[in-house]
Amino acid sequence: MTNIRVLIADDQMMVRQGFTVLLNAEPGIEVVGQAVDGLDAVAKVAELTPDVVLMDIRMPRLGGIEATRRIMEPPGAAVKVLVLTTFDLDEYVYEALRAGASGFLLKDASAADLARAVRVVAAGDALLAPNITKRLIVEFSRLSGTARAPLKERVGDLTERESEVLSLIAQGLSNAEIAEALVVAEQTVKSHVSRILVKLGLRDRTQAAVFAYETGLVRPSGQ
Amino acid sequence: MLRVTSVQKEEKGVRARLVAALRAVPRNLRDDLWTTARDPLPRTGRPSWQDWMPAFALILVLSATFVAIPNINQLVSLYQLDTSYAVLLGVLQSAALVLALVRPVPAWWAVTIAMVVVAAVAAPRTSDVLFPWTGPGLALQGGVLLLLALRVRPRAAVEALAISIMVGLACGLFVSRAHNYGAGTAAAVLTTVVVVGAAVRGSRVARTELVLQEELTAEERARRTQLEERNRIARELHDVLAHHMSLISIQAQVAPHLVEDPPDELRENLAAIRENAVEALTELRRVLGVLRSEDPLADGARHAPQPTLDRLDELVGNVRDAGQTVTTQTTGAPRPLSPGVELSAFRIVQEALSNVMRHSPGTRARVELGYEPHALAIRVTNTAPAEPAPPTRIAGHGLLGMRERATMLGGELAVGPTPDGGYEVTAILPATPRKPPADPVEDTP
Repeated sequence: MTNIRVLIADDQMMVRQGFTVLLNAEPGIEVVGQAVDGLDAVAKVAELTPDVVLMDIRMPRLGGIEATRRIMEPPGAAVKVLVLTTFDLDEYVYEALRAGASGFLLKDASAADLARAVRVVAAGDALLAPNITKRLIVEFSRLSGTARAPLKERVGDLTERESEVLSLIAQGLSNAEIAEALVVAEQTVKSHVSRILVKLGLRDRTQAAVFAYETGLVRPSGQ
Repeated sequence: MLRVTSVQKEEKGVRARLVAALRAVPRNLRDDLWTTARDPLPRTGRPSWQDWMPAFALILVLSATFVAIPNINQLVSLYQLDTSYAVLLGVLQSAALVLALVRPVPAWWAVTIAMVVVAAVAAPRTSDVLFPWTGPGLALQGGVLLLLALRVRPRAAVEALAISIMVGLACGLFVSRAHNYGAGTAAAVLTTVVVVGAAVRGSRVARTELVLQEELTAEERARRTQLEERNRIARELHDVLAHHMSLISIQAQVAPHLVEDPPDELRENLAAIRENAVEALTELRRVLGVLRSEDPLADGARHAPQPTLDRLDELVGNVRDAGQTVTTQTTGAPRPLSPGVELSAFRIVQEALSNVMRHSPGTRARVELGYEPHALAIRVTNTAPAEPAPPTRIAGHGLLGMRERATMLGGELAVGPTPDGGYEVTAILPATPRKPPADPVEDTP
């Protein structure tokens, strides 16, 4: 198995070097580059094609959210963005998720959490920090009150089973957990998930969870 | 049955209230009219009433004197009073008008008593003599009642009016000699002046209240502005702090990787440092959660790091792009200062420049930074505007915020016009020398 290739974008050298040391010490993870701001990050992603980008939100020249948006813009972009933040449950983090980030991580996370987050995001078979992510999405999708009507039709494209799987994704269940809940093979869940993502034009399960809450498929009270 | 009872009760209630009101009359009269109390002169009127008092007094003295002559004349010729009595009573009535300016209620008592005395000693010469008011006498009483109505509650003014008219009627009734009973005219004249006086007083009171209300609102707004500003400052500083705590936790984790086979003591120590940093961060997040709840930051500012003086050129560039002429000068050797000082200094310059653009557009602005051994001196000046800017009455967010920031750091802030007609903001922020961090250029929390 090849290493997960990571790019670290932060305006502080201390953070970049620190995370580089911590991640390089983990088996199967390799830091391939560092970016000093958003613009640099966009350029380095194009140049180095990493699997995962650790992205700070507050950076000079171009902030992390806008950089994430630019990186995720090309339809075929396979890279995953993991947002670094000083604060959880932050509207910036929610904005970052909407911009296409797959998850977020507190800057003071332990080395083990950091490595786990990179692996989860790279594999894409579970939500990162399901409880916090769910809470964040619920809180901000309720506040932002995004338009729901036009999206409803797209939910209509999903089969009943797929809608069921989507709501379980939104509740933070991993593929294995979903398989257990629906009494099917994990491989079946995987194919359901990828069909959902294709039908809805979404990039990963984090985006699927945001979508599920924003369209009202999953109601915060119904959990 | 029930209804009847309730109607009876209601009747009883009405009667009881009526009786109570009637019982209260003597007390009210005593409270209202056996006093020297009167409204203070309004203080909020722009050309102060206090300033105009001498003028009013002069006019009153002149008109009182002017009226006294025909008054005494008529008292002598028409009412057949002794000259000495006539002069005494006439002067008393005129003096009461002047007194009414400062003591309306006693003045009113004086004219009323004078009227009774006049009625008691007078002997109208012919039946067409106006009685018990001579023409000038009625004018004087009207003047006193007007001043009274301007200065006391409407109830007291109405009571005084009623007593005046009733005393007048009584005087007329008890005099046996034939006379022209002038009660109707007098009642009309006196009622009119009281109504006019009460109306003027009413509108003045309303205006005063409005002014007071406005003052209160402005005060309220200023206080809220200050709180918002403090909140913003606190949030920014906690933000910087949280950022540094994050760094500590990262560094504590990284450190063991930098040496080969780190001893257990070192590991444990670093783990404890990290634990403490994470705990402090948890607390900080709680505080910031409170402070951030209302944070109307501009979109552009939100995703950028908290500024330091490194970004001063950028700021000045933006201000120049907006069409403002700005020159900068730095004296002393620039050195990195503590994050709080850097942030506050940046914000003070930012506020000062935005004030220049707001209040004196088209002038030349100058930003001076002085790195002194133990302080950072900031001076932002602008030249005199072509035409003086309209003075703003509301204390700006900007000024308040600058002062808060300077005070919080133990520094000073002074603002004011310069001799050449421009404006100047000076701040001195204490700044102890600080060891440069590992990567000073990029240390932008």
